[in-house]
Amino acid sequence: MIKNLNKIIQNTLFIVVLLTIVVYLVFPFYWAVNSSFKTEAQLQMSPTTIVPRNIESNSFDLTFKNYINIFKNDQFVRGMLNSTIVSISTTILSLLSGSFAAFALGKLRFKGKKITLYTILAMTMFPQITVLSGLYAVINTLNIDAIPSMILSYMIFTLPFTTWVMTSFFRELPKELMQSAQVDGATPFQTFYMILLPLTAPALVTTGLLAFIQAWNEYLFALTFTSIDPAARTIPVAIALFSGEVTRQIPYGEIMAAAVVVTIPIVLLVFIFQKKIVAGLTAGAVKG
Amino acid sequence: MSQISNNLFKKEQSLAYKMLIPTILILVIIAIYPLGQVVYTSFTNRVFAGVEETEFVGLDNYTSLFSLTIKELPKDKYAFEVLPREPKRYKELTTFSIFNKQYIIGSVHPNFIEAIINTIIFTFFAVFLETLFGFIIALVVNSKFIGRGVMRAIMLLPWAVITVVSARIWEWILFPSRIGFLNMFLSKLGIGNGQISFLTDSGLQLPSLIMVDVWKTTPFMALLILAGLQLVPNELYEAARVDGAGRVKQFFSITLPLLKPSLAVALIFRTLASLRVFGLFQVLVGQQRYSMSSYNYYQLIGNRAMGLASAISVVIFIIIFIFAVMYMKTLGVEDE
Repeated sequence: MIKNLNKIIQNTLFIVVLLTIVVYLVFPFYWAVNSSFKTEAQLQMSPTTIVPRNIESNSFDLTFKNYINIFKNDQFVRGMLNSTIVSISTTILSLLSGSFAAFALGKLRFKGKKITLYTILAMTMFPQITVLSGLYAVINTLNIDAIPSMILSYMIFTLPFTTWVMTSFFRELPKELMQSAQVDGATPFQTFYMILLPLTAPALVTTGLLAFIQAWNEYLFALTFTSIDPAARTIPVAIALFSGEVTRQIPYGEIMAAAVVVTIPIVLLVFIFQKKIVAGLTAGAVKG
Repeated sequence: MSQISNNLFKKEQSLAYKMLIPTILILVIIAIYPLGQVVYTSFTNRVFAGVEETEFVGLDNYTSLFSLTIKELPKDKYAFEVLPREPKRYKELTTFSIFNKQYIIGSVHPNFIEAIINTIIFTFFAVFLETLFGFIIALVVNSKFIGRGVMRAIMLLPWAVITVVSARIWEWILFPSRIGFLNMFLSKLGIGNGQISFLTDSGLQLPSLIMVDVWKTTPFMALLILAGLQLVPNELYEAARVDGAGRVKQFFSITLPLLKPSLAVALIFRTLASLRVFGLFQVLVGQQRYSMSSYNYYQLIGNRAMGLASAISVVIFIIIFIFAVMYMKTLGVEDE
């Protein structure tokens, strides 16, 4: 009897803790969703309401105006496009260059391997702000536009990351694969792109996805390199600088709608590739 | 035989170097060379995007960053009357009093010293709370219950929100009147008057920023801890149960010690990321309160003091490098 009661108390406690966690994790995003469906007047209601309510009748009442407005907003639409171009290009270039390097680091023997590994690992933690002015000078010298500048400079974090994670995947592939290919007369490079690279395809997807999210998130370089070219702004910059076209007030309804729209694709990607992402994250940070 | 294997090794080695070329070339262009440039610029008085003549100033930028002076502050005098004005103007950092006497600490760049302090406080509390909450969430998710898969997906939600976007969402939640959620909620609970300025009140800025960061990064911490938890073999818990050890005892004598390596890695990893914090500060408190990175950005872009900004960059680089070395020592690198 007492044992049963104990069990019930324990279970109830567990559910309470669980619900608290869920509310804590989800609520801020819910608040963005809620606010995105309110008109300017509804947003100004004091005290604020947990769901969009009509100002007079207090009944449930939502609007899609904010969503319509942001898709009419040039800054936002361009931002989505720019972010997509920049993030995808950086990811592909990093995967290409990174998997070459990772094969060498994970499967080949050469002098100076340890120091190279340490350098790559150290670079995954590189504080971006410290190279900003130097990088700006490099880009001026190369004389390239804002979009290619971002694609190139984002590799400062995506390239060491992809190299590092891919190295740990290559290392796990059995040595026998390479040896048997060599016996069959394949050169190491043939072994790499005909046998090992196809085997790491799932790892490429995971690593690529994580690199893409990092690039999608980037703010500092984008803010600096698009300062003279507003048309090249990426989504984080566009949202950070979002200001209303008519009203002088900050258009929170539209900002929240934009926040929801840019978050949903990433959330879907993350949910679909959930298991892989967790594996990739832990490979990047935990495994050596 | 050894001739052949030696030959093979040489071939392998030359292939390895060739395959490393693109990565090394890119990293030299975008990281190593710019870093060298920044170190060089830190010894000059160069102006960002300017046409002014650049002079070599030696350690001047560094000494001005760390110059501190303590002066007695008589009751009938203002700070600027006491602090030195030559060769550089000192501004008030803080005042304190001992033995009934007022003292003032002056600095040439008080905002820089404050930025370092802000960043350290931010990092310490954010990482501490993330670890604590991350632990709780990981322990909960690690036990078996219906809907565990959904729970894991939910955990990834804050992580999937762009940092700048989460800053703007929180800016709205923290709005300084009851049209903002938190003020409405707290005033319902009888806390505050519904007009709390979370982002402009200097005492509330750091706690608010920490709260936002904790929300965004706790899931990451929880994931890393969860990965560590799943490495603990179940047999250990069974053996402990047979020996009559309770849940709490099991936690402290099995879970915690075995979790130490993953926990250490997660801790240093998060510390490194927090020390670099930029977007949250820049978006939420702008030029009212700086982190090391946002102060560096302000000096470079806002003030165009490229020489000084470069010196700040070098200081940040050194601070982060120390933590990075700690991280790599904990992690270790296998080369075979």
